[in-house]
Amino acid sequence: MTTFWDIIYLLTETPLFFVAIGGLTWGILGGALPGISASITMALVLPFTYTMDPAQAIALLACVYIGAEYGGSIPAILIRTPGTNSSAATVIDGYEMNRQGRAGEALGISLMSGVVGSLFGLAMLILLTEPLSWLALAFTPPSYFGLGILGLSVIASMSGGSLIKGLAAATVGLMIATVGTDPISGVTRFTFDIPDLLGGIEPVLVMVGLFALTELMSQSGSSTVLQLNETIRIKLPSWSMMNKLKRSQTIGCILGLFEGLTPGGGGSIAAFMSYNEAKRWSKTPQLFGKGSEEGVAAPEAANNTVASTALIPLLSFGIPSSNSTAVLLGGLLMHGLIPGPRLFEQSAQVIDSIYVGSFIAIIAQIGVGMIILPACIWLVNRPRAYRAGFIFALILSGIFTLNNSLFDLGIALALGLVGYLMRIAGFPVLPMILGVVLGHMVESSYRRSLVLSGGDHMIFLQDPIAVCLLSIALIFVVFSLSREFRDARKTKIEEAHS
Amino acid sequence: MNKDLISGVVLLAVSGTYYAWSSQIADSTLSDEVGATGLPHVLSIILAILGVLLIARAILLRRARTVTAAGTDDDQDAHLPRAIGFLLLGAVYVFVLPFIGYVAGTALLIGAVALYEGAPRNWVVLAAAVGGAVFYWAIFVKLLGVHQPVGSLFQGMF
Repeated sequence: MTTFWDIIYLLTETPLFFVAIGGLTWGILGGALPGISASITMALVLPFTYTMDPAQAIALLACVYIGAEYGGSIPAILIRTPGTNSSAATVIDGYEMNRQGRAGEALGISLMSGVVGSLFGLAMLILLTEPLSWLALAFTPPSYFGLGILGLSVIASMSGGSLIKGLAAATVGLMIATVGTDPISGVTRFTFDIPDLLGGIEPVLVMVGLFALTELMSQSGSSTVLQLNETIRIKLPSWSMMNKLKRSQTIGCILGLFEGLTPGGGGSIAAFMSYNEAKRWSKTPQLFGKGSEEGVAAPEAANNTVASTALIPLLSFGIPSSNSTAVLLGGLLMHGLIPGPRLFEQSAQVIDSIYVGSFIAIIAQIGVGMIILPACIWLVNRPRAYRAGFIFALILSGIFTLNNSLFDLGIALALGLVGYLMRIAGFPVLPMILGVVLGHMVESSYRRSLVLSGGDHMIFLQDPIAVCLLSIALIFVVFSLSREFRDARKTKIEEAHS
Repeated sequence: MNKDLISGVVLLAVSGTYYAWSSQIADSTLSDEVGATGLPHVLSIILAILGVLLIARAILLRRARTVTAAGTDDDQDAHLPRAIGFLLLGAVYVFVLPFIGYVAGTALLIGAVALYEGAPRNWVVLAAAVGGAVFYWAIFVKLLGVHQPVGSLFQGMF
């Protein structure tokens, strides 16, 4: 349990305060750049964290996530272009307010609703994560296998409408995870006598390649020119306005909590659901779509809540429920930190740093958000050609930092090409990343279980936790499959009608 | 040929290649019942099945309607050569880095990408490239203490 003195220690004896502010600032800047999602913003900073203290590194990534969720609303309101996917719902009324000359007010509502959502999410994170993680203390190899399968089962809901493609991407991810040294016998697999491959392909390379490089390649040659008005300043909402917004913010917080806990949920779904529900429960639903303050508050509260609550399944069980939490999981694994109760026991400072760092970032968001707005506008207004050059150089420099290896750069570039081809062919990339991240755990726990049972597969049905996790995984898959078939049938009917 | 059909064929090819490679994995006396080749073999079979399913779906959809299957990104498709060109600039960077070192290599990369992305050919590109390279050198080498390549051409100068 974190004590007051732990917090004082973190604030006075470690650079956590500066790490949190730095992460928040980077997150807001990255989130404000259209096309650079929260996960890409996190992936860009991931290699930098390699040389950092693990507690500071993970806190930095969590703060980047918080900042990016707010940053995404800036271009959404100012130029009708969501900086991140989860700020897409903010466009509807945020941009309308901008058109009415109320851009400063919309940015202020977005900022404060984000702070409310983030604080609620952080409270839930602190209250729920540790009790849930204790469950994992009773975990045996079959339980870990069940956990890995549960993690992989979310692929069904992250396949973007094509389960076959999602499964294929995950399988390729698992194949990548087999590169390196076999976890049981120690023989080398798919290393082709290349020493750099003995340790396997690091998940961070896959993430940077599939997220960041693929996005840069996609934007190459784009003629889109964005221009923000440089004179706009944030106008914070008054108490009476905050009072008026409390219903929509509450809706955002509750749905954000629900979606953060649900694998495959994510900020985008939470934001759109909150927008709909806020409209349904509003006293002035007719104003939605015409510059409603509630229409900005609800999605922003929701997506900022998700930025904290999505960490609950991640820290408790190691299940990443979104792209951003997958990057965070990559960060944890990179520093040898395994999510679960042992993380709370053996690396309590990491957990404390996440909590305290997030709190600092959320509170500082108000000041930093106001100060950094001109910088965001300046950055978005830079010519895309120079921006691409700087980001590309940053990515490649960061990757080299990992192992001082040019081979890693080659791997990341190759994965960038793979990611681009996957995008062309309509394959989702997140299942592939899940495969890479969870592959080792699934294989090693499966084989250890069989070693324990002398090859008897019944061991997976004799362990109550494994049975429970595998059953939940089965429910997820069946639920996702039924949804996919329902959607396919609906599309068919719509096509027949048209 | 539609993209799902091509994707299915590629999956089959990847599956076959992976299976062939996995068959070359050495045996170990420490190996368990599943062995080092167990998972790779299963994965290659799963990928092959998914490839066949994708091909079958592509053929059935083709028969069902004449229009191209939805869900693919034609805009991305049209930009493929350009995107590959962008990536090649990175590949050249990786190739020349050991020779010309981090600062010169990064300056070249920023400048080349800026020009490739349509920046006008003037002194601004040069200034941005050199300024950016020095900025990153200060962060990575001086601040973070990362040993970036000095470059064989400049060995002994730093």
